Amino acid sequence: MKLKGLFFVGILLICSIFAASTIELTVWTHEDPNRTLLEDRYIEEFQKLHPEVSIKRVTYPSAKIRETVLTAFSAGKGPDIFNMEVQDEYPYIVNQRVAPVNPIAMGYKNVEEIYDAYLEGTLNPVSYQGKLYGVPLEITNWCIFVNKRYTNALGMDFDNNYPKTWEALMEIADQLTVRNGEIITRRGFDFRYPYYLTFFIPMVEQLGGYLLNEDGTEAIINEKAWIDVLTFMKEWGPSGRNLGSPTYTAARKNWNKDDGSIVMCESGLYQILRLKSENPDLFHSDDWMIIPWPTFENAVNPVKGNYYGHYYMVNAQSSSEKQEWAWKLIAYMLQHTNEYFEQVGLIQPTYELMDSAVFKEFPFANVFMNDMSQAGCVLLHQAGPRLEELIREAVESVMLSGVSPENAVKTLKSKATEVLEDY
Amino acid sequence: MRSGIEKKKARWGWFFVLPAIAYFSIFSFYPIANAFHTSLYRWNLLSLNPPRFVWFENYLRLFQSEVFWNSVKATAIFTVGTFVSLLIGSLALSILIFSRKRFRSFFQMALYSPAVLSTVVAATIWLLILDPRGLGNTWMNALMGTSGKDYQWFANPDMSRISTILIYFWKYIGHFTILFIAGLSSIPNTILEAATIDGAGSWKKYWRITFPLLKPTVVLVCVLSLIQCMKSFSTQYLFVQSGAPKAPIDVLTLNIYNTAIRDHQIGRASAISVILFLTLILFSWAQLKLGRSEEVSFQ
Repeated sequence: MKLKGLFFVGILLICSIFAASTIELTVWTHEDPNRTLLEDRYIEEFQKLHPEVSIKRVTYPSAKIRETVLTAFSAGKGPDIFNMEVQDEYPYIVNQRVAPVNPIAMGYKNVEEIYDAYLEGTLNPVSYQGKLYGVPLEITNWCIFVNKRYTNALGMDFDNNYPKTWEALMEIADQLTVRNGEIITRRGFDFRYPYYLTFFIPMVEQLGGYLLNEDGTEAIINEKAWIDVLTFMKEWGPSGRNLGSPTYTAARKNWNKDDGSIVMCESGLYQILRLKSENPDLFHSDDWMIIPWPTFENAVNPVKGNYYGHYYMVNAQSSSEKQEWAWKLIAYMLQHTNEYFEQVGLIQPTYELMDSAVFKEFPFANVFMNDMSQAGCVLLHQAGPRLEELIREAVESVMLSGVSPENAVKTLKSKATEVLEDY
Repeated sequence: MRSGIEKKKARWGWFFVLPAIAYFSIFSFYPIANAFHTSLYRWNLLSLNPPRFVWFENYLRLFQSEVFWNSVKATAIFTVGTFVSLLIGSLALSILIFSRKRFRSFFQMALYSPAVLSTVVAATIWLLILDPRGLGNTWMNALMGTSGKDYQWFANPDMSRISTILIYFWKYIGHFTILFIAGLSSIPNTILEAATIDGAGSWKKYWRITFPLLKPTVVLVCVLSLIQCMKSFSTQYLFVQSGAPKAPIDVLTLNIYNTAIRDHQIGRASAISVILFLTLILFSWAQLKLGRSEEVSFQ
């Protein structure tokens, strides 16, 4: 009996030693079937190389991941590695919930070497008080996807003469739009609601307006520019020329289907590979193209749509050992920059990718990169989501509720000022 | 002095009640107390700094906030619209179904089936119906004899309110109808027979006998439906996600969600939830008190 007991104790001890030596990492990321295939493979390879590490990768819908990560972090149970849109990650940096990048664990000599590997400025969104807090899984800007079957049918020659201004786009969209009475059955173009920080703010900036002043203490700068863009949106909506509305199905969702409900939409380069998998017939045809993001005719500041990014970050509350392994895993995955681009259409803005033949030969990659060079990053501010909500209210009030652009700007300014007082 | 048997009974009583008390203490009373405690702090969900005790500042800020009062208005409109229509609709349907001899079970089942669906699924189905190109516009155009008119189920502020009420009505009408049918079944037939012998007509029997005897069920339905309506969240959330303007349907629960998840201000979100909780308690108490003013007995 005694021997049996000792034997079991020994087994338990060995098990516990093995269990203790296993590092368990959790990775939370948004759903992307193409990327999941890749990353599952990278994780499997990484675990083979490092049997002492066990990795659990969990995906969440893009709309859900923000609240899931937030509630987990607030309960002190955040994942070791996660990624979200950078504007949602920013409060985690400011509140010191994420760990600075460990360059040695990532295989770099120092942080400067990481900055040197990425296009200038692309790490700025995750640089805070002299430290770097993340590395990009992807950065995205939007251009205009065009289904040429419908433009060609109306005799429009987009290959040689595509709309370069918002005013021209509105005219063309009007010609392409098909209605059954008041109900739109085909939209010529529609915006990507409700991502107003990404598309609406640059439109205001083109006309010389800004969301915040330089020190972030005042909101809605140059009201005239705001009124002009809101007037444009009012004209776009059901009470104007009835070209689209936030209540119709998201344009980019239907565009791949080529079901006759949308001709042009805003999207990122990743949509090309989604098109390839969802509608190979259209992908392999000459019936589609991508054109640059327009500017207003009287633009004083020819900026393009803002870019946003997803950056991999590491939980500052994870043990230092876990943090080190987390950065090693991130480095291992991100060393496959070209594959991320080829298989999923994600741009990791490294010089290595930009100089590669894969990137240079990829359809329309130059259109995206030309626009990117004139684009700013989406607003990074703790009040960002609240301000975006207020802008949404303003846009929808003029498009859907008959509020005048002047009144909408007045309300927006007063509410935005109230929000800024909280920070 | 209580006898030994009574003491023993009381001990066993406590023994049997204890699991329920423990359950409610952990899952209801503690969160309520915790929410009240949290509402007294300025607390950023992500901050590692300790929360700052601010007494009732969160409440004062709320009472001065335009957004909060808009939420109160949106909740009141939704609750009154849904509560009244549910109460009248379910009562009328229950009487109709109860009076039928055939297909009674079928009607009950058909009416109750939407309640089985999760609110998210129900709202998603209705989002498809109410899409500008969906069946909602087709039906309305056929009904109103119009052509190609967009009734703007999401887009128009008033229509988005009506749409959320419609979805809730559709989902819960069956549930409350079943409760009323159960109430109607519990009224002894002998009373109605006696009234018939005394020469009372159908309308008089309903008005003078059925309705008064149904009062406990009416109170129950009132309390349950009121709580249900004031706690409504998923429908409004999905509507806003689908592009409907937020202000007209920014009910208190949606405001709580946004204040906590979007703004990270858990203290202020807790203050709203405490206000909502106290309002629910007040209304439920008032309804129960009114219901007890004339106790019903079948003796």
